[in-house]
Amino acid sequence: MTLNVNGKNYTVNVPDTSMPLLWVLRDILGLTGTKYGCGIEVCGACTVVIDGQREHSCVYDVGSAAGRTILTVEGTDPNLKLAQTAWVNHQVPQCGYCQSGMLMGTTSAMNAGNTGTDILNEVPHICICGTYQRIKDATATL
Amino acid sequence: MTTDKIPSGSPVTPEENSTPAPGFTSVNRRNFLVTVASGLSVGFFMPGGDRVLGATTVSTQINSYIRIGTDGTITLEFGGCEMGQGSKTGLPMILAEELNVNWNQIVVEQSLANPAVSYITGGSSAVSRNYTPLRTAGATVRELLVAAAMLITKNTTRANYTTAAGVVTYTNPITKAKTTYKYSALAVSAASAAATALLPATIPLTPPAQFKLIGTKAPRIDIPDKVNGKAQYGIDVWFPPAATSQGMVFAAIKHCPTIGGTLAAANFPATPAGAIAVVPCKASDNRGAVVAGTYNAVAVVATDTWTAKNLANQLRINWTLPANTDSVDSAALQTLATSLLTTGTPIIAEPVTTPATPVATIEGQVNTALAASAKTVQAIFNFPYLAHATMEPLNCTVRPTYGGTGGTTLTAIEVWAPTQAAVWVQQTVTAVTGLPAAQIIVHTTLLGGGLGRKIEQDYISQAVQTAVAVKKTVKLTWTREEDFGHDNYRPMAVVQAKAGLDATGKISAWYYRNVSPSILGQRGWIPPGALDSQGSEGATSLAYNLGTYVTEWLPLPSGIPVGFWRSVGNSINTTVIECVIDMLAKAAGQDPFTFRYNNINDARTLAVLKAADTMSVWRKTLPAGHYWGVAVSEAFGTVVAEVVEISNVTATSVTVNRVNCVVDCGQVINPDSVEAQMQGGILHALNSILWGQTTFVKGVAQQLNFRNYRVMRVREMPTITVQIVQSSNPPSGTGEPGVPPLGPALLNAYAAAPTGKRVYSLPLFPGATMGGL
Repeated sequence: MTLNVNGKNYTVNVPDTSMPLLWVLRDILGLTGTKYGCGIEVCGACTVVIDGQREHSCVYDVGSAAGRTILTVEGTDPNLKLAQTAWVNHQVPQCGYCQSGMLMGTTSAMNAGNTGTDILNEVPHICICGTYQRIKDATATL
Repeated sequence: MTTDKIPSGSPVTPEENSTPAPGFTSVNRRNFLVTVASGLSVGFFMPGGDRVLGATTVSTQINSYIRIGTDGTITLEFGGCEMGQGSKTGLPMILAEELNVNWNQIVVEQSLANPAVSYITGGSSAVSRNYTPLRTAGATVRELLVAAAMLITKNTTRANYTTAAGVVTYTNPITKAKTTYKYSALAVSAASAAATALLPATIPLTPPAQFKLIGTKAPRIDIPDKVNGKAQYGIDVWFPPAATSQGMVFAAIKHCPTIGGTLAAANFPATPAGAIAVVPCKASDNRGAVVAGTYNAVAVVATDTWTAKNLANQLRINWTLPANTDSVDSAALQTLATSLLTTGTPIIAEPVTTPATPVATIEGQVNTALAASAKTVQAIFNFPYLAHATMEPLNCTVRPTYGGTGGTTLTAIEVWAPTQAAVWVQQTVTAVTGLPAAQIIVHTTLLGGGLGRKIEQDYISQAVQTAVAVKKTVKLTWTREEDFGHDNYRPMAVVQAKAGLDATGKISAWYYRNVSPSILGQRGWIPPGALDSQGSEGATSLAYNLGTYVTEWLPLPSGIPVGFWRSVGNSINTTVIECVIDMLAKAAGQDPFTFRYNNINDARTLAVLKAADTMSVWRKTLPAGHYWGVAVSEAFGTVVAEVVEISNVTATSVTVNRVNCVVDCGQVINPDSVEAQMQGGILHALNSILWGQTTFVKGVAQQLNFRNYRVMRVREMPTITVQIVQSSNPPSGTGEPGVPPLGPALLNAYAAAPTGKRVYSLPLFPGATMGGL
């Protein structure tokens, strides 16, 4: 099947179309910016943006992703870039592992017209390091 | 902006900086001798770092390297690991300060595992341990560069030279003409014996008052790549899984769900359809030595992680359960620990006397003092086991290389691992394969959180065993369920404290006994009967005058693996002590701050507490339904006071609105990192005190994913204000000290609320769950 990821078409052979998009991105395409955290869509580390909206790639069948536009943290979306700049300006990441998901959730929220603290509703993801306060500070500028 | 290089040997840039070491053909390894020839390389010394691990001796070893390239780059070889704590930025700042170079001239390189360079990352010690050695190393290089300029000018009067921004400036004493020399142009000469001969007997260090970089908010060097997907954690190591010898296969691990369960050879499972192999894995100890003949897990190897973990979960495995699982059980262990409060023979942690005072004698003295006290309080506290819950689950990538006749002899192993202990990884590979260190390369990747868990060797050993079994490059990833179910947990504990007050409200008597599994004892790092520093830390050398007192620790026998966890024993002991202090304040009829002022005899602690008092005046005008609590402690040399404000207090929930934090960690290297570490420590404590627990029923962990291992989400996060005490004392730790006082401050606030209560058994809200997103 063909996947469109970050504006580029990839032809992939998957063992099963029910394989979650997360593992296709990570293990088959080598796009490892999208993270595995819990596998049960509780933590949000695997969040990607599909057709503009946030989805949890750990439970999103790759078969359903074909024909759609997939954006990951490696992409060049304008809203993603704004979020990334805010993240650097506020020195948000610590270990950084959850931040891809945080940024993709933020991008999705911005796509839907959210600004400032309303963005936080779209990033209820788990961070263990304690970057929440700086995420609040960063999203307040978006 | 400093460039944080992709770790040398990154699989995506395999040719970068490649200088093959003996026995290797396709690896990427720096040869330090080569760099000496092309520039200046100065090894420097610092005391070895087993503090957190309870070593009894302090060793001295070469720990890192400075290089000045003729291309102008100045490189620090970083021998620790970056797991979000910021030391990969903080250490170069120290170096750059003394070198008198611009921040953007520094390049940090992650060292390969090398006993002469690598250190164990733990104990909040990276900056505190490296501060003086790095300053000395930086200043020595600076003076060698000045000496190299002297060799050109033939003028050896040091006062005629200044250094700044990577340039030595010579002022002719007669003509006053200035000549400048870039460090890069002086580097080769600076490495000469002639330059060394001109070094002053004592290397002058920059006075703290003249620091230009230390103490500033330099941007973290690892952050840019952490927002664009380029940062490479262990779990991200990836080689195209093509059908070549370099291609990667993926493995998932499945342990016996019951702690202590094993797998008999007769029951090794067959390889299911769709798998490349099923590899039984031997158990290993905490330093990577395999336990002969004992298998406790199987690795399933497949073409992708998803297939591997699905097949692993579908295996029907006939495990051999341990003889008696009734004792590997949270309720049974709590009963046993409680009985040891009165029946066991403790080890005296304090006071230390020579010869040792018999337990009965000192307990008798304390009991007499308690009986003579005007008022007494006492309580028994229960703490659960806690998982680490690092966001990046355990993983390790191993590439074996084969040579010899027919290409069947294992000749080398290359490892990529998120590890806090790269040299131990090297030792683990030797333990599994027999290869000598010279044929083992270990790349320390970024860590998606470490928290003490990634010091262990179990996941490393399994990946090595699997890779040599299938003779392929293997990435082994633990599922979240395996990660939670087979941790080296923060120990459980049952603690009893009794304390007395005299008629004036001073503490007159103090009895303290902590019963908990021994981290160091369980792994054989201390002899039986020895005090485990991890169990008593935070309960000794207190800032309080305790009157007649005894502090005891007693090991709880338990087969559940325990390990280091952000702030370790402090997270237990400070919670008890600072709750009991509040109970005493209440008994004395005093405000919690006032009572502490009246009973603390340590000036640093008092200053921190007073700063917290001043910045928390809001507590005196809180609206109805809002309550506050305070706690203070010293851990890893750093004093932290925290004031917590809560509302919506019920039996099952609370809203944490605000945390004020004052920290005295001596000389601050990067205040932005200190603030981040306090924010992180506070969240870590909030999660554990409010909800954290791993419980065991007949040897099986009951919390295997975040669904019932509740942690805080961003909307619930209190507003944290961090105030850093200005100090030129030597720097002390910041990674862990933010954790211990938060719990008791929160519990003290909860106790102050009429709808709350004094809580003695943690977590505050057991059984909490998390919904999906």
